[in-house]
Amino acid sequence: MSSSVTTAVKAATLDKIRQALQDRPAQIAAAKQRGQKVIGWLNYFVPEEILLALDAVPIRVGTGGDEQLVDIGARYISTKNCVFVRSVVGLLGEKKDAYTPLLDLLAVDASCLQVFRLAEVVKYYFKYETAILGVPRSFAAPEGREYFRQELRSFTAELEKFTGRQLTEAKLNSAIELLAKIREALRYLYEYQAQDYANLSWREVFEIVHAGFYLDRAEYLKLLQELLAELKTLPVDKNKIPGLQPRVFLTGSQLSPGDVKLINIIEDLGGQIIGDDLWTGLSSYLDIQVAAPTVDALADGYLARVPHAALPYLDISTDSRIKKLKELLQKFRAQAVIDHTLRYCDPYTFKAGETKDILNNAGFPFLEIHTEYASSDIEAIRTRVEAFLELVRTRNDVAGGI
Amino acid sequence: MAVKEKVFQYPETIKADFIQTGGLRFSDGSEVSAEEIWQFLTVEAPRRFPHAFDASANSIGRLSDDVHFFAGLKRAYLTLTMKDRLFKAHDNGVPIVMIQGGQTLDPYYAAGGIPLRPGYVMQWARDVQEGLNLRQLDAAGLEILEKGRRKISIEACNQVAAHAAVANNIVPVDLIAPYLCLRCSDMSFLVETHRYKEDQRPKYLVDFPINQTGKHYTSDYVAEQLRGLVKEIAKLSKKEVTDETLRREIQRQNKARRLAQEIIELWWSAEQPPLNSTDFFSIPFLANDFVGDPEATIQVLTETKKEVAYRVEHGIKGTGVADKAKRVFVCGSCVGPNATSVERAGAVLVGRDDNFSCNSVLVKEDGDPYRNLAEAILSFPYELPTEQRADWTAEMVKKSRADGVLFMYNWGCNYQTSVGRMISDIVKEKTGKPSTFVEVGELGRTEATEQSENRVEAFIEMI
Ligand code: SF4
Repeated sequence: MSSSVTTAVKAATLDKIRQALQDRPAQIAAAKQRGQKVIGWLNYFVPEEILLALDAVPIRVGTGGDEQLVDIGARYISTKNCVFVRSVVGLLGEKKDAYTPLLDLLAVDASCLQVFRLAEVVKYYFKYETAILGVPRSFAAPEGREYFRQELRSFTAELEKFTGRQLTEAKLNSAIELLAKIREALRYLYEYQAQDYANLSWREVFEIVHAGFYLDRAEYLKLLQELLAELKTLPVDKNKIPGLQPRVFLTGSQLSPGDVKLINIIEDLGGQIIGDDLWTGLSSYLDIQVAAPTVDALADGYLARVPHAALPYLDISTDSRIKKLKELLQKFRAQAVIDHTLRYCDPYTFKAGETKDILNNAGFPFLEIHTEYASSDIEAIRTRVEAFLELVRTRNDVAGGI
Repeated sequence: MAVKEKVFQYPETIKADFIQTGGLRFSDGSEVSAEEIWQFLTVEAPRRFPHAFDASANSIGRLSDDVHFFAGLKRAYLTLTMKDRLFKAHDNGVPIVMIQGGQTLDPYYAAGGIPLRPGYVMQWARDVQEGLNLRQLDAAGLEILEKGRRKISIEACNQVAAHAAVANNIVPVDLIAPYLCLRCSDMSFLVETHRYKEDQRPKYLVDFPINQTGKHYTSDYVAEQLRGLVKEIAKLSKKEVTDETLRREIQRQNKARRLAQEIIELWWSAEQPPLNSTDFFSIPFLANDFVGDPEATIQVLTETKKEVAYRVEHGIKGTGVADKAKRVFVCGSCVGPNATSVERAGAVLVGRDDNFSCNSVLVKEDGDPYRNLAEAILSFPYELPTEQRADWTAEMVKKSRADGVLFMYNWGCNYQTSVGRMISDIVKEKTGKPSTFVEVGELGRTEATEQSENRVEAFIEMI
C-alpha cells in the first residue's frame, strides 16, 4: 500500500480484519457445503437484509484497477461500457479470484443500467443464475414507490424460491438490526478518521469498508466494535501536525477494491483524503431508515436514501445528492474536492460540470479526474493533481490554514 | 473529401400524374393541394433548403430517386415543411414536446402537444437558417453538437445535440418529457442537465421499468406516469383530455401502426423490392413519428400502401434497387446506414429492429386507455429482456429473408452496444446469417460519413 498518509499508532484490530478476509473464502466454501446459497450482488438497491434473512451469504461483487479484466470483459460487453462494468464482466467470466467461483446467484438492481446489461451478458455467456430488481426512475412519485415495493416483493419471492427458505419477520428484524449497527459503526469510523489526531486514515477506513463486502456480517460487526473500542484506548498521536496537508474529499464514480491509482497519486503528492461520498465508500451506509421488519418498509427505506446518480432528479434546488455532498464537505472540513469520473460512466460524468459549478460557487476548489484502469494516464493525472493541491495549499496559506 | 454538388430535381414529366393524386389534409383542418405540394417541392423548397436537394451519394438524408412513388413525394413535402408547421403550431399555443425515439406518441397528441424526437429537433434546429448547402448544414449541426458536448460530455451520443439546441433556445421547445430507459441510458441524464442554469422549462419523465415482463404492477406504474404526462401537456395546451380523447387518439395511431405492418408485409412478400431502401425505411418512421402531423401522415401511409400493392402486383421494383440485391437487416441503436451507398453496393435494406418494434404492437382500444398504452409499451420487442429481443430479431431476419445483419451504433451509446454481441450471436445461432458491427463515429453528420460507409460496403461484399 503506497501512502504518505499513515497513522503512527496502529490499531491491532486492523490486522484481525485483514486476517479474517484471508480466511473468508474457505469459510464461504464450508457454508456452501452446509447448504447455504452464496449471492453476489451489484449496484445500489439490493437489500442485504433480505439475503441475510434468507440465510444466504451476501457478497458485494466488484473489482477495479485491473486492465486485463477490462479487456476480457470488453469481448462480451462493449468497449463503450464503463471500465468497472467491463472489468466485472471479465472477473465473472474468468472466475479466477477467490469469490467468483463460489457464487450461486447474482442479484442485480437496475439503478445503473449498464450494470443491468452486465447481468444479461454474464447470464448468457457465463451461465450465471441472476435475479433482477427493477428500480423506479420516478422514485419520488407515489407510483414509483408503490412499484418498488411490489418489485422488491417479487424479488424476495424469487430469492425465497432459490434459497428454499421462507422470509420470517424475526429473521428480517435481526438482519435489519445487524446491518443498522454495521452502518452506524462505519459512519463513526468515517467521522473518526477525519479528526485531527486520528489513529486511522481514510484509506484504512476505505479498506475496512471493502472488507465488509465479503466478511460474514455478524463477524464483521464484532470486528468493527472491537476496533471502535480499541481506538478509544489508543494514545493521541502528538507528532502529527494538523493542517499541513490539504484536506481532500472524493466524489463521483465508484472506486472499487483494487482501484488505487488516484488514491495513490493524491496521497503521494501530500493530499489527505478525509472523506468521500462514493458508492463504494461512505455513501451506501448513509441515511437508511427501515421503519419496520417488512419488505415494504425496506423498499421505502432504500428508496428514500440519497439517490444514486443514475436516477434522474429534475429539481436541482432539492436534489438530496447535492445537499448531502455539501453537508459532508462541511462535516469533514474538506478544503478541496476531487471528482473521480470513470470513462463511460455517464451517471457521474454527465453531472461533473454542474457539480463543479455548484461547489466552486460554494467555495470549494474542484478537480475532475476522468480516467480508466489503464496506467497510461498516471503521469497526466499526477500533473493535474499536483497543480491542484498546490493551488489548495496556496489558498490555505492565504486563509491562514485551518 | 470534396463533393461535387449534384442537384436533385423532380422532373416535369411526372407533374400531371402527381397532381391527379390529390392534396393533403392536416390535423388543424387546413389543406394543401397537389399543385401546391408540387410548387413547393420544385420551386420553394430547393431555394429554402438546397441541402435536401443535394444528390451526391454520400448525403445520408438525400431525397429518394424514386420519383414515380408519389406518396414518397408527399412524405418529402411533410419533412420539408416540418419547420414551418412547428413554428406555426407553437405560435398558436400548441406545446412542442421533446421526447426520445421508440415511444408511442398517442398521449402527446391526445393532450394537444406535438412530440418531437431528438432527430427531428435537430432537423428543425439546423433548418432555422435557410439557404444552406449540405456542407453548411453539417457545420450548423456540428456547432450545436459541440455546444452540447462541451457542456455535458464528449461521451454522450449525438442526442446531446438536440438537448443543446433546446438549452440554447435555437428552437422553442415547451416541455421536455421523454420516456426513460426505453432504449437509451443517456436520455435521463440529458434531461437532467436542463435543471441547471436554464429557464424554467418544464420537464417530466415517464419511467419505463426494466425487468417488466409478466408483472401487472409494471403496467399500473407506467399507466400512472402516462396520466401525469397527459396532465402536464394539457396544462400547456389548455386542452381538456378525457379517457375518450385518448381512446380516439389510440384508434387513430393504431391505424398508422396497422398500415405500417401491412406495408412491410407486402414489401417482404414481393420477389423484387417494390420500394428502395430510403422509401421503405421511411414507413415505420412515419407510423411512429408523424412528422408533427398524424392526420396528414396517415394519408401518406394509406397512399403508400396502395402504391406498394400495385407495384407488388405488377412486379415493379423500386428505383435504385439492384437486381438480386443482397438483403441487409439493420439492428442496434438509433442510427442507420446510408441507404444510397448500400444500394450502390448492390444491397437493399429489408428491416430495422428499433422502428419495426414500435409498430409491431397495436394498442388495445377498449377499456382503460392508459393501461392499454402501458401494456403495449411494455411489450415492445426491442425493449424486452435481451434474449427475448434477440429471438424476435431472429424472427424478423427470417421473415425479411435477410442475407446478413448489420449491427450499427452511435459513438457514446453504451446501453445498446452492451448487448450488440449478444444479439448478434443469438441471431446468428438461430438464423445462420452473418453479422457485423459498425460504430458510427461521425456523429450528426450528413456527409463525410465514409468511414462507416466503407465498413458497411465491405460487409455487403462479404455476404
Ligand atoms: S454508476 Fe458509473 S461506475 Fe457505476 S456501474 Fe454505472 S456507469 Fe459504471
